Amino acid sequence: MTEPSRLRVALVDDEALARSVLREYLTSIPQVEIVAECSNGFEAVKAVTELKPDLLLLDVQMPKLDGFEVLELVGREVAVVFVTAYDEFALRAFEVHAVDYLVKPFSAERLAAAIGRARERLGRGERMPSPDLVQAARPAHGYAVRVLVRDGSKVHVIPVHKIDYVQAQDDYVSFSSEGREYLKDQRLSEVEASLDPAKFVRIHRSYLLNLERLTRVELDARENRVAVLNDGRRLPVSRAGYARLNALL
Amino acid sequence: MHPVFGQPGRLVAYVIGSMLVGLFLAGALTRQGLQWVEALTVMLPASLVYAFVCLSAFYVCLAAPLRTSHVTRVLASSGLAAAIASTFWLLIVRVWYAVLDVMPGGGFDSVRLAPQIPFLFTAGVLLFLLSLAVHYVMLAFDAARDAERRQLHAEVLARDAELAALRAQIDPHFLYNSLNSINALTSTDPAGARRMCLMLGDFLRQTLSVGSQAWIPLADELALAERFLDIEQVRFGARLRVERRADEAACGCLVPPLLLQPLVENAVTHGIAHLLDGGVVRLEVARHNGIVSIAIENPRDTEVRLTGPGLGLQNVRRRIAAQFGEQGRMDARAGEQSFRVELNVPCNTAHD
Repeated sequence: MTEPSRLRVALVDDEALARSVLREYLTSIPQVEIVAECSNGFEAVKAVTELKPDLLLLDVQMPKLDGFEVLELVGREVAVVFVTAYDEFALRAFEVHAVDYLVKPFSAERLAAAIGRARERLGRGERMPSPDLVQAARPAHGYAVRVLVRDGSKVHVIPVHKIDYVQAQDDYVSFSSEGREYLKDQRLSEVEASLDPAKFVRIHRSYLLNLERLTRVELDARENRVAVLNDGRRLPVSRAGYARLNALL
Repeated sequence: MHPVFGQPGRLVAYVIGSMLVGLFLAGALTRQGLQWVEALTVMLPASLVYAFVCLSAFYVCLAAPLRTSHVTRVLASSGLAAAIASTFWLLIVRVWYAVLDVMPGGGFDSVRLAPQIPFLFTAGVLLFLLSLAVHYVMLAFDAARDAERRQLHAEVLARDAELAALRAQIDPHFLYNSLNSINALTSTDPAGARRMCLMLGDFLRQTLSVGSQAWIPLADELALAERFLDIEQVRFGARLRVERRADEAACGCLVPPLLLQPLVENAVTHGIAHLLDGGVVRLEVARHNGIVSIAIENPRDTEVRLTGPGLGLQNVRRRIAAQFGEQGRMDARAGEQSFRVELNVPCNTAHD
């Protein structure tokens, strides 16, 4: 039998005792190296970016960024096993292609089995879930209240009411908020679907506007409609976009 | 339909009773010079028929209920109904007499009956009034039993609601997380694991035992809340700090058990657990002018959107309304960085 290849693991749990169980169990599993211990989601994103672990053992209920949000941000780079006291997230976890789902308290054998599954999946070189799928599995209650944008090892949390508009740019979208632009690897149609349609209107193929920022729509020199924002910025409005605006106002 | 027809036993008893009345009346008539045979032949069937006439008293009772009708109305309707019934009763006797007279071997001369009419009329009135009285008593008895049943039903409902509330008050995730902490401690800190087991055991035992009581001293309720926080402190470590200020004078006041439990639980799960560095949960208890105020305050993450009051908070509000009515109050206030729930309830030190 061949020795399994070395598995680099990061532990993410806001409770020190919960991390210590994982650490203890992992010492008895051969060829596993703990490369990071994180007590919140921000640290987890940083660890994934800088240390490139193979596997995250990820708690769901954590302050600021929960486990699903961490998965949304880094899910394509790392395999994830959820570790939580809540069994009600299990279905969602598998929908977002988590490798496994452990409910606390769990045994060393159960963790070893999850590690085995992770090795198997990594060995097959299986594609990690796309962010679209992660988005699709987000809880169905209502629209997003904030947008998470990863900037290298950092995470920006943008409350939805602070977004001025969203612009499509090639394969990315750019969120304009408080004078800054945040690039995210997502399609504009997905962003549109996640935001409240009573507050965000697709005024143009490439623009999604926060209605609260709109002061007026006027015609420019070439007879094209233009939305004027309350900070003076101007965005193009298409014919269909104008119809949607009128339907709302 | 009249209730007597619903139960065969009652109907038979009633018929036998009417025969006894007939026998008594026949006896009375023999004293006036009638023959026993003649008196019985007339009185027994007539009494039987009149007995059913007297059942109409039931409707008189319904039309003039004792509770809501003026006494003159009750007396007037009773008197009038009795007179009419008794007139009818005389008619029955007369007709029956005539029928018997024309039958073969008759000889029932109505002349002999004429002197008995005042006596028979009086007897008819009295019998009807007796029937009325019995009906009134019966209705009052029914009403009392109904009220008792309603009261019992209300009590059962209240008890059910209470139990449902109690069940909802121990969050299973609290147990799972505590067990996970114990699991961690067994190798790194066996003494700590043992302490945790004991605390958890105490907490569960106390929770279950106070759950069956209607009222417990505030001191016990506070001890239970603190035990809960002790256990959560093992899990959250330095992130959870507790400050307590309890006025001794308030500790003897009686409160419904587990009133504070959902509130301290919320303070931890919706407050501390959302904060990277945690914070302080404040527990304050004071007593002024017979009112005990209990306040629980926790820091909150300003980025987490406030939703409406959760199930726990609604439960507490409902229980306060049920136990203290207008005198109890619950105020929940979300500040910039904190969340505070304050209960104000009258301080009672003894309950039936």
